[in-house]
Amino acid sequence: MLLNSVVIVLREVLEAALLMSVLLAATRFLQMGKRWVFFALVLGVAGAVLYGYLFGPISELFSGVGQEVGNAGLQLCILLLIVVNVFQISRRMQDTRGSSTRLALLMTLIVVLAIVREGSEVFVYISGFWGVTEFVSAVAVGSVIGTCIGFSVGVLVYYLLLAQPIRHAPVTSVVVLAMIGAGMASQAVRLLSQADWISTSGALWDTSHLLAEQSLLGQLAYALVGYEASPSGLEVAVHLGSFLLVGSAYVAGKLIKVADEDALG
Amino acid sequence: MAAVLCLLLSGGLSLAAVPEFKIEIRNHLFQPDVLKIPAGTKVKLVIYNRDPTPEEFESYELNREKVIPGGRKAIVFIGPLAPGTYPFFGEFNPQTALGTIVVEADSDAAQ
Repeated sequence: MLLNSVVIVLREVLEAALLMSVLLAATRFLQMGKRWVFFALVLGVAGAVLYGYLFGPISELFSGVGQEVGNAGLQLCILLLIVVNVFQISRRMQDTRGSSTRLALLMTLIVVLAIVREGSEVFVYISGFWGVTEFVSAVAVGSVIGTCIGFSVGVLVYYLLLAQPIRHAPVTSVVVLAMIGAGMASQAVRLLSQADWISTSGALWDTSHLLAEQSLLGQLAYALVGYEASPSGLEVAVHLGSFLLVGSAYVAGKLIKVADEDALG
Repeated sequence: MAAVLCLLLSGGLSLAAVPEFKIEIRNHLFQPDVLKIPAGTKVKLVIYNRDPTPEEFESYELNREKVIPGGRKAIVFIGPLAPGTYPFFGEFNPQTALGTIVVEADSDAAQ
């Protein structure tokens, strides 16, 4: 039970922690504050508790697939916010003098939604087993350890991102954000097919013998790039499309700024 | 009245279109723990969690995961699948909550 709690909580924390690390690391080259992250954490945890508390009734919506629709909606929102955020990052890089409020707001929203999505399942898990005396200590200790490991990985990624030469930092951030966003989108596709809102074909390939999803590395790959050993064609298409969408938001941000300068000149 | 009729009708239609299978969770065990379903068609799983504790129905092979709060039921659509065996488990109790979905080709199922 203890080890199991560690794994369950770690899985959920990891995704939100990675996203938070990338955004926090980006604040350095964007020359903006980090205070927003505290608001994001508090709001995110509050939202996760609320969503988790209502998980039962939400699940029953849309004739029993409310959970899939809700989670897919959250993940598509995160992708959309990442696209807008990358566009704004791209624009701010040309000129870091102005106000960074808009970026801070976008980053706050992204982190809040990620914590709501992942944290609500942790809440359902912990609150569900809280009443069972024999499990309480294992679940409590396991959750704390899982959270700590998740945050440690986040801190490690944060410092890894800061350790690189600053001229590479923007592109690295955008690539990592694009990977996370693409992972979110393909997860949303899987959830919507689980809910029978969309139909997907069979698996396009199966790489479970190369990298099993249940392995530690597989879990990390899942959190980082939405790794799926046997994805459907639609998942792969949406994954690639989302990656390109985030990438083009970066390019578009640059082009538009250049156009502005041309107009001024 | 018309709405009720519509509901009944659509319910009947979807029942006819998608075969439905029931799984129960009791004492952190799946019942049945081996479920045979036909190949090449979409299938609706209705999973009743009879335990007071939550469970997460999960399968890497089926690409499915769904949290089921204690005392509630969940609907999970799977397939169309190729014949074979697809393990699933309860992530919150992975030592005991284990099961397999066996997908059979039409000729096997008919026998």
